[in-house]
Amino acid sequence: MTVSVANDMSIFSLVAGASLPVQLVLVVLIITSLFSWWYIFIKLATIKRAETNAEDFENAFWTGGDLNKLYEGLTAARRKPQGMASIFEAGFKEYARHKQQSRMEVSDVMEGARRAMRAAYNRELDDLDAHLPFLASVGSVSPYIGLFGTVWGIMNAFRGLSNVAQATLSQVAPGIAEALVATAIGLFAAIPAVIAYNRFASSVDRLSVRYESFMEEFTNILQRKS
Amino acid sequence: MIRAYEKEVSWQAGGLAVAVHLALLGALLISFNWKAAHPAFNVTEVELWDSLPNVQEPTPVPPKPIIEEQAKPAPELKEEPKVEPKPEPTVKEEPKIDIALEKKLKDIAQKKADDRLKKDKALEQKKQVEALQADVRKDETLNNDKLLKESKTKEAIKKMQQEALVDERAAGDQPTLSAGAMANAGVVDEFRNKIQAKIRGNVNKTLCGNANPELKFDIGLLASGELSGAPKLVKSSGSAACDEAVERAIMASQPLPLPSDASLFSQFRNLKLKFRPND
Repeated sequence: MTVSVANDMSIFSLVAGASLPVQLVLVVLIITSLFSWWYIFIKLATIKRAETNAEDFENAFWTGGDLNKLYEGLTAARRKPQGMASIFEAGFKEYARHKQQSRMEVSDVMEGARRAMRAAYNRELDDLDAHLPFLASVGSVSPYIGLFGTVWGIMNAFRGLSNVAQATLSQVAPGIAEALVATAIGLFAAIPAVIAYNRFASSVDRLSVRYESFMEEFTNILQRKS
Repeated sequence: MIRAYEKEVSWQAGGLAVAVHLALLGALLISFNWKAAHPAFNVTEVELWDSLPNVQEPTPVPPKPIIEEQAKPAPELKEEPKVEPKPEPTVKEEPKIDIALEKKLKDIAQKKADDRLKKDKALEQKKQVEALQADVRKDETLNNDKLLKESKTKEAIKKMQQEALVDERAAGDQPTLSAGAMANAGVVDEFRNKIQAKIRGNVNKTLCGNANPELKFDIGLLASGELSGAPKLVKSSGSAACDEAVERAIMASQPLPLPSDASLFSQFRNLKLKFRPND
């Protein structure tokens, strides 16, 4: 009897033979893992795009062209400017608007442009930070969910063992194996999430530093112009 | 769930995420040998062996054919069996005289003697056969030095099969000797008494009062002499304290004495014990 149970140990029969809480845990973990990988790939693509955008814009900005031309080029484009370009657009738009009402003081104009850039910067940062809290919680919680499934499965395995007078390893082994599948999937969800979270957090930090320094430098340029 | 600017990469990312999980599943399926071989199968075979002698009890097999069959490969065999029978008649004659004198009284003694003789004989035969087989094997190995290892393994298998056959027949022979079962029964009774004596020594008799009630317990034993489960009370003494005292005594007497002959263990796997604590 036990031999036939131990013989059929494919991963599908292990999962099918698990108790309901363990199966629920497995389903939850697989869904979380799918979502976390989805977000990981989305963030990989978007952060990379933000970096290349920043690179391109810095190149265009520091080549010393006309700022008005740059601004018109940005607003004429079909797509809404993103990243550093959107900060520049917001600041320059505000500056130009104040400039037209010529009776305003320079410090007020500068203050307004700064505020507009700050707002655009916050919006950009919010976009960059999107999904990172989800990755952080998957990284910290999913091992526990997996552990819960494992503990539950092992509890079941040992409870079944208590009814037998002569305990053998082959009576608990399938139960423990199916329980450990939960931990394995929990770790599979958690490890990439933690790695991705750390990597993306540092990328976002570097981008935000880059945006902030651009804001300071652009403010100086605007001040010199006015 | 996702931002507007992320929409253009979302399908691509979703496909990649699914691909990663499929890769993990594939790695799980390929890298693990999920259907492992279980050497535990031998255990069940051993249990079958236990029941074999009982099955063969009614079909008597004469011991001579074994020698003749085994004698064929080597010429030495013919000499040895001739040497062996010599003690046989001498011992056998004595009981015959006894039978002639007083059949009724000596009947059992004779059977026992016969028994012992034939057991010895079977053992000797076994030893001889094994020795002969060893000789034959030596010769064969000398001759077959040049042969491949495969043939050697085949020989080993054959040899094992032969030995198994011889063992089987020897095991089958013993019960056929009419009093073999009786001798076994004697051993079983002896150890049954030993078990009861050991348990009785552990019973706290004051709990059972002055009356002498009878208790019956069913116990299951392991080969190590330990209990395989809790003892089952079949017939109560009428006093719960007394029942518990005896049950505790059974538990305290582990390991219980068992005969060293493993083939007799099957008779001890489930024991029915009777107690009269005040005997």
